[in-house]
Amino acid sequence: MSTNVAYAAPRTRSTASRPGVARPHIEIVSTRDQRRARPRTVYATLVIGGLFAVLLSQLLLSIGLSDGAYAIQSLQQKQRDLGRTQQVLSEDLERLSSPQNLAANAGAMGMVSNATPVYLRLSDAAVLGAPVAASADESAAPLVGNVLLDDVKPAADQIAKANVAAAAAAGADADEIAAVQSGNADSGVLSVPSTNPSTTALASGSSIPAPITR
Amino acid sequence: MTAKSSRRRIAFALLVIVAVLGVFVAKLIDIQVVQAAEINAEAVDKRSIPNTTFGVRGNIVDSDGVPLANSVLRYDVTASPKDIGDFTRTSEKEDGSLVETEVTWPKAAAEIAKQTGQTAAQVRSIIAKALKEDPESNFAYIARGVDTDAYQALVDLHIPGIYFQAVQSRTYPNGQVAGNLVGFVGASGEAQAGLEFTENDCLKASNGFETFERGADGVRIPGSTVTTKKATDGNELVLTIDRDLQWFVQQAVAEQAQAVGAPWGLATVMEAKTGKLLAVADYPSVDPNNVNLTDPEYRGSRVFNSPYEPGSTFKSVTAAALVDAGLADGGTRVLAPYRFIKNGANLRDSFGHEDLPLTLAGVLAESSNTGISILGERLDDEKRFDYIRAFGVGQPTEVDFAGEEAGILPDPASMDVQTKYATTFGQGLATTAAQITSIYQTLGNGGVRMPVRLVEGCRAPDGTWVSQPSGEPRQVISKHAADETVHMMETVVTDGHFGDTLKIPGYRVAAKSGTAQVSDGSGAYGSNYLVSMAGVAPADDPQYVVTISLANPATMKSSAAAAPVFQKIMSQVLKTYRVPPSSVPSPNLPTTY
Repeated sequence: MSTNVAYAAPRTRSTASRPGVARPHIEIVSTRDQRRARPRTVYATLVIGGLFAVLLSQLLLSIGLSDGAYAIQSLQQKQRDLGRTQQVLSEDLERLSSPQNLAANAGAMGMVSNATPVYLRLSDAAVLGAPVAASADESAAPLVGNVLLDDVKPAADQIAKANVAAAAAAGADADEIAAVQSGNADSGVLSVPSTNPSTTALASGSSIPAPITR
Repeated sequence: MTAKSSRRRIAFALLVIVAVLGVFVAKLIDIQVVQAAEINAEAVDKRSIPNTTFGVRGNIVDSDGVPLANSVLRYDVTASPKDIGDFTRTSEKEDGSLVETEVTWPKAAAEIAKQTGQTAAQVRSIIAKALKEDPESNFAYIARGVDTDAYQALVDLHIPGIYFQAVQSRTYPNGQVAGNLVGFVGASGEAQAGLEFTENDCLKASNGFETFERGADGVRIPGSTVTTKKATDGNELVLTIDRDLQWFVQQAVAEQAQAVGAPWGLATVMEAKTGKLLAVADYPSVDPNNVNLTDPEYRGSRVFNSPYEPGSTFKSVTAAALVDAGLADGGTRVLAPYRFIKNGANLRDSFGHEDLPLTLAGVLAESSNTGISILGERLDDEKRFDYIRAFGVGQPTEVDFAGEEAGILPDPASMDVQTKYATTFGQGLATTAAQITSIYQTLGNGGVRMPVRLVEGCRAPDGTWVSQPSGEPRQVISKHAADETVHMMETVVTDGHFGDTLKIPGYRVAAKSGTAQVSDGSGAYGSNYLVSMAGVAPADDPQYVVTISLANPATMKSSAAAAPVFQKIMSQVLKTYRVPPSSVPSPNLPTTY
């Protein structure tokens, strides 16, 4: 067991290692205790450096964390807003897909329900029931209410409105075309000599092969 | 310095350190143990924000998963009246420059009112009233439950002193469709009626609780959230109802009720093989989005809650019991007089006639009270009532709807003679429409009564069933008796009083009419009638049961008022569920001899 303990030999400078260097006769040699007690710069640097590293990483970590906190906050806010939008839209969708709304729209488009269905039996090709065209008076006023639809107009009305607008636009177009045509006609009347180009146009037109139909 | 003095100094220093340490330890124990709770509470108050997290109440959906009741967020608009006043609004112009406008309180009130659907005067008076009661008032409700669009618009107004609270609310996208069944919740979210009330255990959510810390700018500090209790969402309640059919049936009943001037009407559609209710219509219907539009009397479901004397639709029960007991069959003969007087009982048919030679089938076709009374006598009262009870009369159905009634059944041992005969044709006892539906389901299903079901079950978010209604099928009468009764009821459609109004081309329909006298409330019958029709189709293999009841029709006081709507609904049911037309010809039981 005696070998278990290592004794450091005193670190005296070897005289032989420095030949040629004049050395004083007497030198204060620190005791082993003194030498042990002396702080070592390397350790100090290491510890302080480590401390700063810890502090720095702590700082960076908390910067990162609070950055994340703001990111989370803004994403959560975004999620809330989108959730709200989603709720509004799905509420709209659900009330618009209610049977009352569908029936009202079908009615507005002129659809009527046939209360007397007729069946064709495939086994003997028998017609079961008397086929009668459904008439509009069979569909009575809607009697199953839905307060959520109070401010909803049938889509058919909107379609009709859109059609009217489209027709108006188309009408405007037609007017324009008419104006252009009349303009052409006017120019045609005014520029009588310009018949040549039209004949060339005709000529080029006649050069197109006639379609072959079977 | 001697070794001795050095030791003394070390000992002294140690002593001081121990003493200081002791003080610290004492203080530590004081803080950590003695005052711990108090200080903790104080600390939590100082830095932690308590927060209730909300679970979402489960939806109610129809058999296809179409929502009938949804949970949504609504917003309460609140104000701090003492902070209300004129203010300066800073808004951004198109070119990016800021512009300041003075907004007076009346103008702001008008802006709020526009979004909440109130008048500006109403909004101003809420604030004025709060300030009158307490000039330092800092809380008042301006409007409750505004929707998301209005909330967004109000937030954008940036009016100081106006705050918002998000609240859980319910919306019913289909309005009156199944409104009477689904029920509704109160303003503060408590279940009040219908399935919302009875199935609350399935639907209800539980709120969670957490605390978190936040920075000076209100941002939550990561990692500071402590969840004491997790919020759990409610489960989904799946009904057996088909929304589109339900709408059709409600519309059809409402049309007919208005046409004949009936104050209320009922209709049910049931799957004959399973006992599942596909449609349960009440007219007038309630819109759960705004229950105040409907009289409180009509906010429940009369199908379950209003027992009435069923009248002649009940004759099928007597006929089925007689056949099952082996005491009669469809061809059993009886000479039915117009008036029947025996042992103090005095009853008559609804129309005057000579003595009619009828078979039991003919008794149903002609709906002869005297005929069924004479034949009904063959069966001992106790036994007959055992059959009636086995059919489910006298106890609520398995649905257990909010406020469901059991009906009224007299005691066969002590009832008078008049009641003895009256009960053979459905007077002197009371049933709910749900019970009548169940009786016809039993007849249409070979005598096997299936538990009545309105709810498919309670489904967890992951799709597994949390619970499903239980109940055992019950053989009430033999298959032979049930089929024979259905064949007898076919004669009501082919030979009865209804011409073509009950017939559906291609299908064999079995039905029984009822024109029941309604008690005037003082023990006598008044001039009011409850007209009804109940039946199954196709008669060769019954798939669906339809029942109709119209109360006190003003213009048409007979079951002829119920026939067309029965035919209309049954046609729709057969069409909707693609039932193939009857392939086996009807036995066409003779009605006379």
